[in-house]
Amino acid sequence: MRIGLPRALMLYRYSPFLKTFLEECGFEVYSSPPTNLSILRAGTAVCIDDICVAVKVFFGHVAYLAKDVDAILIPRMVSVEKSKHPTFTCPKLIAAPDMIRHSFPHLPTLLEFTVDLQKVPWWWACIRLGKHLGVPMWRMVRAYIAAVLEDRRYERLLHSGLFPDDAMARLEGNGTSGPPSYLHEGDISVAIVGHPYLLGDSLLNQRLVHWLQASGARVYGSTMLNGEDVEKEIAHLLPLSWSYERELLEAAAYFLNRRDVDGVIYLTSFGCGPDSIMMEIVRRELRKEGDPPLLELVLDEHSVESGIRTRAEAFVDLLRHQKSKAG
Amino acid sequence: MKLAFPHMGNAYIPLRAVVNQLGIEAVVTEKPNRRTLQKGALHSPEFVCLPFKVTLGDCMNALEKGADTLAMVCGMWACRFGYYGRVQHLILRDIGYDFESVLIGREEPGEIWRKLRPAIGKNVARKVAGALALFRSKASAVELVEALARKTRPYEQERGSTDGLLELYLHHLDKASSQRRVWELKREARQAFGSLPMQDKNGTIRVRIVGELYVLLEPTLNLDLVRRLESSLGVEAQPVLSTYRWLISPLWLDPSLHIYSSRARRLTRAYLPYVLGGEEHMTIAGVVSAREDGFDGVIHAYPLTCMPENICRTILPDISSRTDLPLLSLCFDEHTSAAGLDARLEAFVDMLRARKEKRVLHGVIQASM
Repeated sequence: MRIGLPRALMLYRYSPFLKTFLEECGFEVYSSPPTNLSILRAGTAVCIDDICVAVKVFFGHVAYLAKDVDAILIPRMVSVEKSKHPTFTCPKLIAAPDMIRHSFPHLPTLLEFTVDLQKVPWWWACIRLGKHLGVPMWRMVRAYIAAVLEDRRYERLLHSGLFPDDAMARLEGNGTSGPPSYLHEGDISVAIVGHPYLLGDSLLNQRLVHWLQASGARVYGSTMLNGEDVEKEIAHLLPLSWSYERELLEAAAYFLNRRDVDGVIYLTSFGCGPDSIMMEIVRRELRKEGDPPLLELVLDEHSVESGIRTRAEAFVDLLRHQKSKAG
Repeated sequence: MKLAFPHMGNAYIPLRAVVNQLGIEAVVTEKPNRRTLQKGALHSPEFVCLPFKVTLGDCMNALEKGADTLAMVCGMWACRFGYYGRVQHLILRDIGYDFESVLIGREEPGEIWRKLRPAIGKNVARKVAGALALFRSKASAVELVEALARKTRPYEQERGSTDGLLELYLHHLDKASSQRRVWELKREARQAFGSLPMQDKNGTIRVRIVGELYVLLEPTLNLDLVRRLESSLGVEAQPVLSTYRWLISPLWLDPSLHIYSSRARRLTRAYLPYVLGGEEHMTIAGVVSAREDGFDGVIHAYPLTCMPENICRTILPDISSRTDLPLLSLCFDEHTSAAGLDARLEAFVDMLRARKEKRVLHGVIQASM
């Protein structure tokens, strides 16, 4: 059986894990390629217009896979951390399988992978998936261990500073070895805070990382942070119910407080529900006098590379100007 | 203490009653209008949902009118509504207003009590009990008057007579200070609406309106959707949500609401097995059961970028084609114009009429177009 994994949304976090798990269970796994224009167009054609662009891209990847796989795996992320107060992810991630199911007339089998860590642990979700596919228990256990190891490898790559697309390419064996150019020292350093599916999708962010690096900046991404290092950064704020956004807020706080970061870019997509609120919290509650400049960059399916490039260059110029004034 | 709360349809009537009964002065601003919306949109994030912008403008109006405390409902949900109070008050403080905030649901109950306690004064238990009782009876009276108006408006012989009565009774209800008076008004309203001269009810189109709570209930936002349908197009329109339901169900003062909404959750489970934090169960269940409840079509109204309703919006066309039920989706934002809305409603109602006539003619259900 050929199982498809769309390279979009939450799969930027969980794809290495799920891919290894399914492969070790004896299935052929096929990931859709990095987003290209035809995938984006296919997604916008199927999806309703006022949803965020990341969801449209997700639809595009599903449409791409639908042609040549037997089943598509679509995770449903209900809650991804266990805590005393209620936690959720974005409603669109909670309802992703439902949206897909009711939007396409002909689809291969949809495999659900429901993650609700408030109620059941992660391994339980894996066992349910395996049981549904008829995998014997011993094989599942072996696959689970291999998947956890692969996930650790992915995380190590992310923590070393790689962006999700490069880290994934390296795991798949078609990336270059050695540190990528955005990790070379520059006279300016810029941190990008945003969801992994925006940071890792170079079509959606219109090669923002590349343009920043081309203007001479060293680029950090919020994906390189480890939850435990930064969670105390926002301890003084009220708790948040969105786990992924809480991570972004922590990342923003961390980078704004770090003196070796000259500027922070908050990357979001137009129509992103949680981010419309988070941006206000970052701008008005988190940011203090004397913090580095903050650029809010909103992406949608009409973003063009020249627009992003102009903004990246202007921002780096501004940072350089500020630094020379201060120094 | 001068307490203010944002407008939502006619919710101000029971809310004013509860605040006044507690012995606190309530600041009720003029009903929101396009200016309020623009004022709020000026200081809101660009793509936050529309109710945020209106209620922000509303809070600004209230503060300018002398309010010193703002109350808002908050929570830890997947929907953005849980963050309204927190972020709005942040914005208002940032642009220079000074006030005390009461975030119901976010702050500890003890904390809220500590803030309100000095303003309430003596006889606490009696005041709270009286306030809750009057709150409940006013909410149900508002619900009743609104329902009566919806039932008579499409058939009124003299255009505008229903709306005149509606305004009159809402005004009286707002002024009423005792439960006895509210009961009297309810009885009077039943008689008054019943004695309006009416037209023949044969062959009326019935439309159910589902969607996001605030857009459904606030005429400023939906450009008077219900009135437009009823008085100019002669259609009976019925929203699935009401102010009463929203105000009363978290207080557990009416068990029937909970029975209704658990039924809605059950109907929704086949389409959306997990709770999204909004009113998505009422939307989906409203569409699923519309045909058996005798409706000819459904209108789905929601604000731009609303998360739960956007998800419903992707699912509804499928349900609508399966159940052969016409569906019109209307997305509202601060740029929506009345002319565009009218054109869409007219076309939709024409289509419903054509379907209904055809059906009567052949006696069989026609396939959807």
